[in-house]
Amino acid sequence: MKKITIYALSTCLWCKKTKKYFEEKGLKFDCVDYDKQDEARQKALMAEMRAGGGTGSFPFIKIDNACTQGYNPEEFENLLRKK
Amino acid sequence: MNIESRKKALRFLFEPIVSKLGYKFTPSQDDEDFLLEQEALIEAETGIPYCPCQARSKNRDENMRMVCPCIPFHLAHYDAMRRCWCGLFVHKNVTDPDKLPQFPESQTESRKSGPQRGIHHRGAEEDESRMSRRRGLSMLAHPPL
Repeated sequence: MKKITIYALSTCLWCKKTKKYFEEKGLKFDCVDYDKQDEARQKALMAEMRAGGGTGSFPFIKIDNACTQGYNPEEFENLLRKK
Repeated sequence: MNIESRKKALRFLFEPIVSKLGYKFTPSQDDEDFLLEQEALIEAETGIPYCPCQARSKNRDENMRMVCPCIPFHLAHYDAMRRCWCGLFVHKNVTDPDKLPQFPESQTESRKSGPQRGIHHRGAEEDESRMSRRRGLSMLAHPPL
């Protein structure tokens, strides 16, 4: 089973839609609300996202070692199928 | 000022600006309500209605690029998506915002061409929208005294 991590903002509509998408698929995922973390953790999270091509816009989704930014079900499907 | 009245005020302030850029509020009333509420709450906390879907940093220049409506700072990217990042605003000819993809700025060039979904094409009306956007951008760059 693939490991799914959603980097989100608690204020972000598309982060909520992304969580709902994976919930409806019955897929387990970890989720971290960036804006609810302390400064040191935020710095570490931003470094992780930038290493995966992120720019500070949310949601940022990691599926195993592949990353994508934004709510895009087609892209989610591609990454879930990827071997 | 309470959050509900501030949401109405933000709507009143944003509407003429985004209209000149060729955008309108999302047709989804629920989405609009949620996003305006988040912006009003962020403004109550920070003094500025930042985009609710972008992370703020300690860099003021970077932060200014995400003050709503942030369309002028990301025009090519948002035009390619036909919506702004948080989805509060969509192109005027968009009828179904749920069909619009959200993709990172790095994909802007590769996504510019090809069929776009969720759009009602209106020919001359769209040309007028483009002209209006140029006038709007010009006004933002050189506001009347």
